[in-house]
Amino acid sequence: MNRFIECVGVGKIYPGKTENVEALRGIDLVCDAGEFVCLLGRSGCGKSTLLQMMAGLERPTSGQIAVAGRELDGPSPDAAVVFQDHGLFPWMTVQKNVEFNMKARGAKAAERAKVARHFLDMTSLTGFADRYPHELSGGMRQRVGIARALTTEPKALLMDEPFGALDAQTRGRLQDELLQIWEKQRTTVLFVTHSIDEALLLADRILVFSPRPGRIAADIRVDLPRPRASQSAGFSALARELRGLVGADRDID
Amino acid sequence: MQLRRALGLLPLALLLLAWELAVQAKVYPPVLLPAPGKVLLVFVEDWQTVLDNAAASVARVIVGIGLSFAVAVPLGLMIGRYRWLDLLTDWSIQIFRSVPPISLIPLAILFLGIGDKPSIALIFLSGLWPLLINTIFGVRGIERTLIKVARAARAGELLVMKDIILPASLPAIFTGLRLAVGAGWLTVVTAEMIAVKSGLGYMILNAQLTFRSDLIIAGIIVIGAIGLVADQLVRRIRAHVCRWQEGLTAAQE
Ligand SMILES: Nc1ncnc2c1ncn2[C@@H]1O[C@H](COP(=O)(O)OP(=O)(O)OP(=O)(O)O)[C@@H](O)[C@H]1O
Ligand SMILES: [Mg+2]
Repeated sequence: MNRFIECVGVGKIYPGKTENVEALRGIDLVCDAGEFVCLLGRSGCGKSTLLQMMAGLERPTSGQIAVAGRELDGPSPDAAVVFQDHGLFPWMTVQKNVEFNMKARGAKAAERAKVARHFLDMTSLTGFADRYPHELSGGMRQRVGIARALTTEPKALLMDEPFGALDAQTRGRLQDELLQIWEKQRTTVLFVTHSIDEALLLADRILVFSPRPGRIAADIRVDLPRPRASQSAGFSALARELRGLVGADRDID
Repeated sequence: MQLRRALGLLPLALLLLAWELAVQAKVYPPVLLPAPGKVLLVFVEDWQTVLDNAAASVARVIVGIGLSFAVAVPLGLMIGRYRWLDLLTDWSIQIFRSVPPISLIPLAILFLGIGDKPSIALIFLSGLWPLLINTIFGVRGIERTLIKVARAARAGELLVMKDIILPASLPAIFTGLRLAVGAGWLTVVTAEMIAVKSGLGYMILNAQLTFRSDLIIAGIIVIGAIGLVADQLVRRIRAHVCRWQEGLTAAQE
């Protein structure tokens, strides 16, 4: 397998007025191309920070990050990001928002409209193309952000809690869609989540984070066959183990 | 809605009443304080004078503020976007905007003579600073995630300016425009009293020399009315251009 993302000794300190926040320390990580990796951990342990650094949007204060064998010095054309707070442009309609990444690449208007329609259909936003973001529910906004990231068929998808605001049914359907895209296009997926079940349903590998400073506490391979069922014995055993790992940290606090 | 409108007229009606009472009570001789009816007569008998001078003033403000808009908005967008430009210009802006444009009338006359030029130059200056400062402020207020979305999409600088920085700043730019139009209107009347031989300011000053206090008061009423209309107009345009903002802000202005 070839390495797609490689982090060596990555740390991040946010300077503050009174004291600095050490968000991450000593992150060593290799993700192979085509791997589906979930970043699991409680609030504030640096998952978004790591994702943003791998997206080339924040600089690490220490260590190196390489994507596709090249040291990262800015956003890569191969990756698309789904932001935790959606990152929709309030002055653009849903349609224009979804088209933005394609527009940035110079795609023609007709092509953009066609691709946007496809992903709006996939995210069940067909009738909302001409609405503005403030007219949508939180879950719908999240889906616009997902649709936008998918339009450029990226080699890597960096998704920050993309399904967090969705109802169980929509989440289940979009999880399936994502797995299909991943299988078909062999996308590398880095997927932040709070949900142990979601991580187990999706990931080849789960990175469990522990807080203050954020570190990778465990790197767990999930070898369960797909499609996965949360009732299976292997699933429950891993879920228990993960609950232990995430919960153990809670006791340390 | 109707009631709210009527409420706004109440203080004006009271003022009118007080005025009429003062005339009845002969607080001042009629040559100083003409009756409301006499002032109304100005709009019948001297409408040509009033209209010509009002048109001259309005034209100067449109040209002057148009120029400030054309200079301040592009400049403000760039200063807001590029840190080094901000460092370069910050002090100068703070210094020059503290100078009341009226205090520059003597210089303006020395350099530009008597006529349209000095007054337009002063209106330009009085509109420049509020527009510039609000535009910069607008760019600064952009949500950080939105800039990240653009960077992640590797959007070109032109697209970022046109599709992100400019629309995001529009509400602030229009706030600046309202202030600029208000300031420009104040300046034009003052400038016309000294630097040019037409316009409402000139008309009022001239009326004083001929003891036409009815014409003075009529002029003041026109000045106030045009100020109100101009402000409403800018607000309307803003509400239309910034439709996407509805529901984002808690209170409508
Ligand atoms: N821009 C920033 N400036 C300063 N501190 C920051 C910034 N972004 C994050 N932090 C801090 O870094 C730490 C990690 O934040 P991060 O957003 O990466 O956590 P997270 O794991 O994504 O949390 P959540 O699950 O709540 O999204 C937190 O303590 C946070 O306060
Ligand atoms: Mg986060």
